[in-house]
Amino acid sequence: MKKENFINEIRPHESGIKHVSGKAFYIDDIPEPAGTLHGAIGWSKKAHAIIKKMNLDEVIRSAGVIAVVTSKDIKGRNDVGPVYDGDPIFPQKAEYYGQPLFAVAAKTTELARKAVLKAKISYKNLKPITTIKEALKKKSFVLKEKIIKKGEALKTINNSAHRLKGKFTTGSQEHFALEGQTAFVIPQEDNDFKVFSSTQHPGETQQIIAKMLNQKSNTITVETRRIGGGFGGKETQSFIFASICTLLAKKTKQPVKLKMDRDDDIIITGKRHDFYSEYEVGFNELGIIEGLKLKLASRCGSSPDLSGAINERALLHIDNAYYLENIIVENYLCKTNTASNTAFRGFGGNQGMMVIENIIDNIASSLKKDPAEIRRRNFYQKKKKNITHYNMKIEDNVIQEIFEQILKSSNYKTRQASIKKFNQESKYVKKGIAVTPVKFGISFTTWHLNQAGALVHIYCNDGSVHVNTGAIEMGQGTYTKIAQLAANDLGLPFGKVKVSATRTDKVPNTSASAASSTTDLNGAAALNAISKIKTNLAAYVKRKYKIKNTEAIYENGMVKFRGKTFKFNSLIKEAYLNRVSLSSSGFYATPKIHFDKKSFTGRPFLYFAYGAAVSEVMIDVLTGENKITRADILHDAGKAINPAIELGQIEGGFVQGAGWLTMEEVNWKSNGQLTTHSPSTYKIPAVSDMPEQFNVEIFKKGKNIENVINKSKTTGEPPLMNAMSVFFAIKNAIASIANYNLNPELNAPATPERILMSINKLKRKI
Amino acid sequence: MTSNFISFIHRDRIIEVENPDPNETLLNYIRTKLKKTGTKEGCAEGGCGACTVVLGELKNNNINYRAINSCITLLPTLEGKQLILVEDLISKDGDLHPVQEAMVKCHGSQCGFCTPGFVMALFSMFKKYSNFKEDVIKDSISGNLCRCTGYKPIIKAAKSLKNQKKIDHFSKNMENTIKLLQKINNRSIKIYTNDKRYFAPRYVQELKEILKKNINTNFLSGGTDLSLNITKERKDINSIIYMNSINELNYIKNNNKYIEIGASTPLIDLEYYIKKYYPDFTKILKRYGSPQIRNVGTVAGNIATASPIGDCLPLLLSLNAQVVLQDLKKTYLLFLDSFFISYRKTKIKKNQFIRSIRIPLYKKNTFKAYKVSKRFDDDISSICAAFNLEIVKNKIENVRIAYGGMAAIPKRAIFCEKVLLKSLINEETINKAKDALEKDFKPISDMRASGLYRMEVAKNLLEKCCVEIKKKKIIGLYT
Repeated sequence: MKKENFINEIRPHESGIKHVSGKAFYIDDIPEPAGTLHGAIGWSKKAHAIIKKMNLDEVIRSAGVIAVVTSKDIKGRNDVGPVYDGDPIFPQKAEYYGQPLFAVAAKTTELARKAVLKAKISYKNLKPITTIKEALKKKSFVLKEKIIKKGEALKTINNSAHRLKGKFTTGSQEHFALEGQTAFVIPQEDNDFKVFSSTQHPGETQQIIAKMLNQKSNTITVETRRIGGGFGGKETQSFIFASICTLLAKKTKQPVKLKMDRDDDIIITGKRHDFYSEYEVGFNELGIIEGLKLKLASRCGSSPDLSGAINERALLHIDNAYYLENIIVENYLCKTNTASNTAFRGFGGNQGMMVIENIIDNIASSLKKDPAEIRRRNFYQKKKKNITHYNMKIEDNVIQEIFEQILKSSNYKTRQASIKKFNQESKYVKKGIAVTPVKFGISFTTWHLNQAGALVHIYCNDGSVHVNTGAIEMGQGTYTKIAQLAANDLGLPFGKVKVSATRTDKVPNTSASAASSTTDLNGAAALNAISKIKTNLAAYVKRKYKIKNTEAIYENGMVKFRGKTFKFNSLIKEAYLNRVSLSSSGFYATPKIHFDKKSFTGRPFLYFAYGAAVSEVMIDVLTGENKITRADILHDAGKAINPAIELGQIEGGFVQGAGWLTMEEVNWKSNGQLTTHSPSTYKIPAVSDMPEQFNVEIFKKGKNIENVINKSKTTGEPPLMNAMSVFFAIKNAIASIANYNLNPELNAPATPERILMSINKLKRKI
Repeated sequence: MTSNFISFIHRDRIIEVENPDPNETLLNYIRTKLKKTGTKEGCAEGGCGACTVVLGELKNNNINYRAINSCITLLPTLEGKQLILVEDLISKDGDLHPVQEAMVKCHGSQCGFCTPGFVMALFSMFKKYSNFKEDVIKDSISGNLCRCTGYKPIIKAAKSLKNQKKIDHFSKNMENTIKLLQKINNRSIKIYTNDKRYFAPRYVQELKEILKKNINTNFLSGGTDLSLNITKERKDINSIIYMNSINELNYIKNNNKYIEIGASTPLIDLEYYIKKYYPDFTKILKRYGSPQIRNVGTVAGNIATASPIGDCLPLLLSLNAQVVLQDLKKTYLLFLDSFFISYRKTKIKKNQFIRSIRIPLYKKNTFKAYKVSKRFDDDISSICAAFNLEIVKNKIENVRIAYGGMAAIPKRAIFCEKVLLKSLINEETINKAKDALEKDFKPISDMRASGLYRMEVAKNLLEKCCVEIKKKKIIGLYT
């Protein structure tokens, strides 16, 4: 009989059938107990103002309203900030347009939403700060600035044969998970609360609600079966909704559901940090960077939230795949009167990487060399030039192999030549091509978060397996992969393993499903739990059958000890009757990592994920319209647990990244009012935005050299950055207008408008 | 026969709802009353497709299936139709529909939240088309947003359907469904609730009678504009007259001088019909919202809302379209030119309704239209431009140009036209005409584009049009 193998195997998503038939429950789909009320949030119409008076009389009198909650109803901590305070649930002073001020519970969602509009709020207006520039000028920061240094940057820049200076910005990005922020809270006995939250972080949701209520954490249970997309937008931004919903449930003593309207959702929650940078770089005639001086400022919004860690990751990825010997970076975390910016796939890493990629691109342009060549020359090497600017030795470098392979398989050189020829003959449409590498560090940079727990039960009557971990299924397929790992480890059919809803009362103290680490951590914890049960079984077999060698092979539903083979089910049943524990918790903590934030040195990452992409675009010279005509991606997933799922992450991440760098534009009025808050005003990629030709492959030689489950590598965040190639392909197309003699000025996102303006600027210089 | 309840078919049963709330959305009804939660709310404005359901309607003794956005569809408009939800695609034996099967096999879902909407959009494609080429697939799902997959596996799933037999449990059960639909077809609806009124007349005569007694009423066609008052502004719409129930007004006629489009004709029908006469009109319509929108939205509705960024309007203006207005006594013919007064205000008076729209057929003219937006699919244009030119020996003998997104109303470029008229198409003319646009328009800046960009693109589109006419080929990336 062929061994049934569930690992390294293409399997559909564990909920695939439920997804396509409408049977997968999201928070809003959970059957409501009788008497369930529905919430809505009233929010500030001013970006910066003291709330002088809130007259909620008409709100309370509005049809169907059962209760109203304000800051007065909060007995404990009036804040949902994960690391620092600064995110009040209901503030006295509004710090951004859209900040929640009060909430209602009514008989229906429609009535609740109507009611909140009836509030009469008087404000004392204060001057808002709405741009990074303004914040820098006024020294308005959420946290203290940071300066990191390695080598002698200023000196080497001065001594370099070539120097360049410039500015660059990348834009914000709305997460736009198709499932909006949702919470559903059912009061229990003893003032306990059962909280269903569409969150990437049940553990912290539990703690924050407990603190808000001044209750112990053991009175709050948070459960999440799946979420309809997260992308970082539900790592901390879900807290305020779960908290307000609990507050309403507490006040009404009834179940309350809080489902955010799309516009309110986008207005209330933070987005990706937009970054402004200034650089000065010194390099030699080969284009090799000798010294780099950077100023890096990000829009953090009204509070610190996760901005400290996000900026830190930007600093840790300022090198991308390049060796930087001398570097100095000043990093400013700007406080603005806009929603507090937060985690978003890449978590600052991609923003940092865009800065260096832009510099490299400009170096190539100034030397009139192929940017691919300049990139290659600056790569980290294997035996030397392998220490990062934070003093970590890179031991798993495969960027050269990936880079060369994608250049070859995509026919980069030939196409580059034919594009140049096309551009000479085409006046109104120009083509561009670019290749960019990705090196992304895997692990939470906050050391203690790199741990996970699991709970595994095997039921005695039928040998079915129940697995629970701290992982949140948000589309990335972590439940599928964990079930594959467990089934494989126990030698059971996939269908015998069930991964169940993530709950704080099953696995405590979980980290967020974030930092691309979810399956690495939680999968390992699940395997650890299984190994403990296996130890119990082995001990029993040894005792009962006097077998010396307790190593067993679990495959095809059988358990083979040397000299004695059991059917899995029979062994389980027998073990139960002999009073052997068939249940265990499991634990995993990432080894090797350490990082000293003060000196900015250490090993913050267990390993790196690598990738590279070649993109080709066309732009319309008269309108700035653009499209990706072809993209080739080669991405390192190590030994992939489920190649289909990894491919899905790689493709989807690329399109999301292309959206960030091209069409997705967050827009505020000068008074801080957000104007892009629905699909009619904020555009995420649609089907025609997918590259016309889209060749995506997993790096076949990929293998994680670290001891990660199955020697796999995560594909959560890193593939997004393959889309950097799209931006530089657009820049390359623009450069053709000046026959590649001048360097176009282009900031991200490269919207049609920005592209046209860049073309105009370039034309004026010719 | 007039009725205060609506009936529709769901899962082979006739369902009747007495005095439904005229402001309740179909999505809300499905989720909270039918208790079917497979259909999702993503945006409540018809912009993401997560709420897509399919309606079956009788047409020439056959069933016409259309994907719609249930979030902006008002419940009473369900009258006389078959409602198909994602849950209903599974056969009685529990088998997945071929569309569902393909989505699972090709890994078309990740987080799964948009998936029911995609499944329904693809199901409608499956029923409507016989082959599933890439352009048909992309068109069919252009109104569905997915944030996870990047669309590749969904397209793969759709392509794989070509090997499937087109038989499913709906086609097997067609006769029975037709019988049921015939049973409930043919009634006018009048609903009076505590504070709201809803009328769905079947004939123009009935409509007139309703208008006589209900002066302050809102016309509803596709609801792509009106429903947002309910779902986004949280307002009550107290009196509604549904126009799309009037079959008399659902037609496209052609007398060789003009095409006449009845007020309740969905845009999707025009999209197919007009291709032969004005291919660029079809190209713009293909980018007008999404199939879900074009399946219900009408030209009349687009005109009546008078949006400065309505995609049809500059095209109709440049073609010198006429609006046929009707009141209780007679009909009036109005040039669209003089129809728009100011931002979202038109010359329609109380008691009047749009009966039809006439688009002249020009035998000698060249018609070109362009739409520029941040995103290709389902976006509102930053600038939309339409050019209608009669050119004889490189000389412009007649010209009408109109722009959307450049002023508070869709507007002709009169000064620009003057420069072009009786001129030869050459660089000098183009440059002068470009300059003249500055007299015609002072565009504003908003989240879609800056005024500067709008003006420059307006000029460039003029250039593009002239160059394309001269070179007799498309020179840009898109039309």
